[in-house]
Amino acid sequence: MKINYKHYTLLALMACAGLGANAQGIMGGHVTGNIQLDGQISSADSIIGAQDVPEKLLMNARADILYTNGDFSAGMRFEAYQNPILGFNAKYKGQGIANYFASYNGERLSVTVGNFYDQFGSGMILRAYEDRYLGLDNSLLGIDVVMRPFDGVTIKALAGKQRYYWEYGAGLVRGIDGEVNFNSIIKSMADSKFRFTMGAGFVSKYEDDQTIPYPENPSFKLNLPLNVGATAIRADLSYGNWGLQCESAFKGQDPSIMNDYIYRKGQAQMINLTYSQKGLSANIQAKYVDNMSFKSVRSESGEMLYINYIPSITKQHTYAFLSMYPYATQTTGEMGLQADLMYKFKKETLLGGKYGTDIHLNGSVITGLDTSRIGGAGTYGYTTAGFTPGELYYADASLEVAKKLNSKLKLTCTYGYQIFNPIVEGHHGDLHHNHVVVGDLTWKLNKKNVLRFEAEWMGSDSKYDSNVDDKRCGDWIMGLVEYNFTSAWFVSLSDQYAYNDGVGNYYNLSVGYTHGATRLQLGYGKQREGLLCIGGVCRQVPASNGLTFSLTTSF
Amino acid sequence: MKKFILSLVCLTMAGIALAQNATLPQNITIKALDGSSVQTSALQNDGKPMIISFWATWCKPCNRELNTIKEVYEEWQEETGVKLIAISIDDARSATRVKPHVNGNGWEYEVYIDQNQDFKRAMNVVNVPHTFVVNGKGEIVWQHTSFVEGSEEELLEIVKKAAAESAE
Repeated sequence: MKINYKHYTLLALMACAGLGANAQGIMGGHVTGNIQLDGQISSADSIIGAQDVPEKLLMNARADILYTNGDFSAGMRFEAYQNPILGFNAKYKGQGIANYFASYNGERLSVTVGNFYDQFGSGMILRAYEDRYLGLDNSLLGIDVVMRPFDGVTIKALAGKQRYYWEYGAGLVRGIDGEVNFNSIIKSMADSKFRFTMGAGFVSKYEDDQTIPYPENPSFKLNLPLNVGATAIRADLSYGNWGLQCESAFKGQDPSIMNDYIYRKGQAQMINLTYSQKGLSANIQAKYVDNMSFKSVRSESGEMLYINYIPSITKQHTYAFLSMYPYATQTTGEMGLQADLMYKFKKETLLGGKYGTDIHLNGSVITGLDTSRIGGAGTYGYTTAGFTPGELYYADASLEVAKKLNSKLKLTCTYGYQIFNPIVEGHHGDLHHNHVVVGDLTWKLNKKNVLRFEAEWMGSDSKYDSNVDDKRCGDWIMGLVEYNFTSAWFVSLSDQYAYNDGVGNYYNLSVGYTHGATRLQLGYGKQREGLLCIGGVCRQVPASNGLTFSLTTSF
Repeated sequence: MKKFILSLVCLTMAGIALAQNATLPQNITIKALDGSSVQTSALQNDGKPMIISFWATWCKPCNRELNTIKEVYEEWQEETGVKLIAISIDDARSATRVKPHVNGNGWEYEVYIDQNQDFKRAMNVVNVPHTFVVNGKGEIVWQHTSFVEGSEEELLEIVKKAAAESAE
């Protein structure tokens, strides 16, 4: 999918459409966009395991250009990976127009042709999305139609093929979804305290037949379903301070490399209950996922070509040691429970003090399913004992206390406990039990100068073993100092050091400059090997060692 | 490589040359906290300025920004008539936590969820926080990414200027 005449023709058409609109007297229109450059000058380091980079400089670049004129918009994205920075799949190597579209967005009808992103409900059966930092892009190339025939009703219909690096996957994805907001369509409910939205969707994937031998008798081949359907129903209810969201998804027989070509049907269930008022909120969520990996190409085992998205319900931690063992959903099967509580002690109370105190409690437990094996490829695979939990995959609990001490100082203290099972990353071994303590102090010297200090400690029963080579093992300490001059300049210096049963010393110096929507950042040091989680998706990145730079701008 | 840099430069120049004060995109669907769909054309403030802030529940600087402005929001409103609209980019993982997060923090802002990130893409938001100031005519007059304690003062100056222009 490099630049070719087809794309130039399309761009010319888009430009003409824009000019045409002008010619008809709809003057104006706007060109906006954003540009991003990320580079690394890396050198090998055996201690942290950074690879030697023969080309010395690695760089990712992209530019989104968007033209908007009234209800019409068109856009394209240029991407270049010369060569891809560490952590990005080598299949991205190259450059070209990666994405182009034209779109009409009216009050009652939206139509997009070209590359588009969309999702049904929370995405349990369909979510075309991208995460630029993780190198994930499941955009669909095709047509997306959204109708709003009257207020409170939305109908979506779409068809397309999914992006696969510089190509498109062979599988065809088609879907339809409807959503009704009852407070909009029933007049007597318009101002009701009871709010109610319901939706349902259906997605079908088509892929040509291929030969997958039946392992019990390789002279037979599996009778693969060419069309695989998935459906989901969802509801969002609230009454005053209370809220309830639930979603239920089912998938037909979908033998693929992800489930070892078994013929078991898939399902996912999610329920979320919330209560909130000013200064207090609580939330409890439960999830059950069984054989729900849904890809448009059955033989793809990597991170691409997912049609659906089943998020992790564990809290997204932001401190380095708390997020060192991120949990990624096991789409093949898991169940979990998560709870969150947030409370503000009011000003001028015993625990609130002069400015008030915030506390945040969080806990989650994720386990596998309790399954009994039937057989391998070509069979129904396994049976489950209903909603009975299996092996423990992950558990965490954390308490965060945030307090403004005076007009200049703000302190946040966090304690977290985690249990992590290496099996979720495909390794066998003992559970890791980690205690993490974080102190984070912001000191506003005056209106323009702000200092921030962060200290972290992690105590773990895990020990570094060169055979497994998990560089997160052991006991760690970390310190960070950050100086900000207004929101324009910052300098930060940090070091993570394994002082017991571990290996590694990750020091980093970063300098950044922000002006408006332009940000330039330079860094020197070592980047930790491991899973990188941004925006709820995790993937493995190798260690890097050297100079990094990054530029983003929007206009 | 040369070609690529050249094309980037060209694109940037084309962009800057054409970028007058862009307006807010009109017909993008976002979700209100009660689960109903809202079009971005509904984001209005009767000819007075608006602050549009893209944020996420897991983003510490975003939370610092919105909590800092909370302390002075009433004064800002009295002084300039400004309205802050907070657009959450939380996806399925954390979108259900947005409403409790907003209420728990006691934010009096208008809050919407842009779960599919259509609005984020249309506004060319790369990182959060990313804050825009929109004047009374609906034109984007200022934008900034990142937040540090104290930078709310700069934001207020921009809002005051936009409010003065709107009043003319």
